[in-house]
Amino acid sequence: MAKLWTVIKREFLERVRTKWFIIVTIFGPVFFGVIMVLPAYLSVRGMKDIKVTDIRIIDATGMGLGDRVATRLAGGPMGDASTTQVVVVAPTEVAAAETTATHDVMTKARRGYLVLDSLTLHEQKATYAGRNASSLNEMQIIENAVRSALLGMRLEREGLDPKRVEVLTRVKVEMSAQRITDKGRGGSGIGSAIFGFLIAFLLYMMIVLYGQNILRGVLEEKTTRVAEVIVSSVSPDVLLAGKVIGVGAVGLLQQVVWLGSAAALYTFREPIFLKLGMPAAPAIPLPEVPALLIVALVLYFILGYGLYAALFAAVGAMVSSQEDANQAAQPVVMLLVFSIIFAQPVMLNPTSRLAEIVSWIPFSAPVIMPMRMSAIQIPWYELAGSLTGVALTCALCVWLSARIYRVGLLMYGKRPSMSELLRWIRQS
Amino acid sequence: MSQLALEIRGITKRFAAHVAVRELSLDVPRGAVYGLLGPNGAGKTTTIRMILNVIAPDSGSITVLGVPNTSPGLLDRLGYLPEERGLYKKMQVRRLLRFLAELKGVDGKTADHRITEWLERLSLRSPEKDWGNAKVDELSRGMQQKVQFIGTLLHDPDVIILDEPFSGLDPINAQALKDTVVDLKHRGKTVIFSTHLMDNAERLCDSVCIIARGEKVLDGTVAGVKSEHNKQNIALSLAGSPSDEVAAVLEDRALVARMDDNNRFFELELAPGGDAQLLLQRLVGAGAQVQRFELIQPSLHQIFLDRVGASGVEEGMSGHG
Repeated sequence: MAKLWTVIKREFLERVRTKWFIIVTIFGPVFFGVIMVLPAYLSVRGMKDIKVTDIRIIDATGMGLGDRVATRLAGGPMGDASTTQVVVVAPTEVAAAETTATHDVMTKARRGYLVLDSLTLHEQKATYAGRNASSLNEMQIIENAVRSALLGMRLEREGLDPKRVEVLTRVKVEMSAQRITDKGRGGSGIGSAIFGFLIAFLLYMMIVLYGQNILRGVLEEKTTRVAEVIVSSVSPDVLLAGKVIGVGAVGLLQQVVWLGSAAALYTFREPIFLKLGMPAAPAIPLPEVPALLIVALVLYFILGYGLYAALFAAVGAMVSSQEDANQAAQPVVMLLVFSIIFAQPVMLNPTSRLAEIVSWIPFSAPVIMPMRMSAIQIPWYELAGSLTGVALTCALCVWLSARIYRVGLLMYGKRPSMSELLRWIRQS
Repeated sequence: MSQLALEIRGITKRFAAHVAVRELSLDVPRGAVYGLLGPNGAGKTTTIRMILNVIAPDSGSITVLGVPNTSPGLLDRLGYLPEERGLYKKMQVRRLLRFLAELKGVDGKTADHRITEWLERLSLRSPEKDWGNAKVDELSRGMQQKVQFIGTLLHDPDVIILDEPFSGLDPINAQALKDTVVDLKHRGKTVIFSTHLMDNAERLCDSVCIIARGEKVLDGTVAGVKSEHNKQNIALSLAGSPSDEVAAVLEDRALVARMDDNNRFFELELAPGGDAQLLLQRLVGAGAQVQRFELIQPSLHQIFLDRVGASGVEEGMSGHG
């Protein structure tokens, strides 16, 4: 036991002392912080500043719809609608006007042009062409302007006072999406989806980074022949266990630092946002994280990490060079990639059949299941079954890997074939 | 307390295609310097790994210091220097040595103390420069060998097993190693080492065991082995190159069974019933200018060649002994 501790200590300290670890651990949160804050910052700023006024409106409706749209684009009757050109044309002249407008857009005289005609009046269809056609925000603004102009016109035709129309049609809706579980309403739907995806991604990253780290560690001991010295002091099983636990602890430490700084960032978001000149901190409602989810999360992490760490260690013990290692590790990496491929479809539809199946497969469950759990309510038997499956597979992988490791650690040269590998497993 | 440091009884180890060690038995007395001799591929490393319980024999038993080699805690009393040497390259020397000592059950404080002692003793630490604070890959090859050697001895083991310890050592390190082996013996430790260099074994060992193709060829004390091999050898050196007449005498198989040109002298093995005096007379009669004519005991090297033959060397598998 004391020796296991010695191995764990070495694996842990030697990794934590490296520059690589310090840089990633400290700059990780800074990087994630920027990624989290920047889009919010940009979109808040963006929404405020965007005005789509330097366009041309080709109005063939004969009812002054173009002027109304221009007013709306300028932000109402108080706004400056003069930057928007409104060209009133007869329906037959539309094609010619469009040609001119296209030319103007190409020479950058205008940003784009909007065509309003009888189709707009009767079928609510309008055409826009311009340099900014792929900007969803700007297109939405134009669309909104056309819709509210149309609405206003129709209401006026029904006899409403234009001033009243102006006030009545300026409706802005802010929708908050909330999620409903067996326990009732709670939390934000988007919040838990983001949370779930974040967790899946963190687990995946951890397993990939630290699984490969174990592979490199085993390979180093083999190529430098340190392994032989160590196994003359402790059994290969202790060395393997110490390595897996030590490296896992490094990963855990990193996650604690990351999650801790994320929590700090969240807690102090208002001063931070204020510093950036954003008056109101956008509310990112944190999902409620039930205790069961946390327990399951930790279990999935430990079992999932153990499973893949054992496989990577076995690969490391099988090979004698980095090139061989890359090749031999491919099946294991494929298993991992396979689980992250399903992360997105599962998140979009966590109740689907596909989602259920991949949460039963032990190799993808550790990544997929915690994500699903944060999105929807999972029946207890499904959770228990999936966890048991992962635990059994983990035990099997550790058992197999320990056997391969014991033999492989002192074998050099050619990579073993499948049948040789089976003999190793039987032999030890 | 058993008088034997190591007792091997009929161990056999098979790998897929070949038998690495077959029915090997040997006894190593406590406090002895014991040589495990044999060509490359003879099964030396496999035997050593079995002694250390790194691999298990298919059959047979191994007793170390009076207990089975699988006993818990036994490994802490053994020190092992593998043939293929290596250390964690990125680790600080001191931390690495402390790690190796702790793996053998030495507490950190004691280890630190001994590390300083050893570093000074092998001149890796001086008032100007303490290599203990450097990383392993900043050290020269010779220094790394010293560090590895310290790692083998830090826990003050009772039995020290060295696999081909002299291979790759420069003369200064080889001398330091030899001195340390002698010192260990004086302190009552048992040293077992494998080598294919017979000269080293002859100078250092009290007892030897020669193995070839996984089987024991002979064993016993060096003196015993030599007297058992009761052939008389003659060291002969001549002034100038031998004339045809002299060569004819030397090639007379009734007198000389075998001749080995050692460059500075010939080592002659007398034919059965051959007489040294007669040989000398014949040589002088043939006009040879004899500078040296000395009855010598056969060297281990000669005995080895005699008993194992050249075939044992050639058929040996390369790589692990």
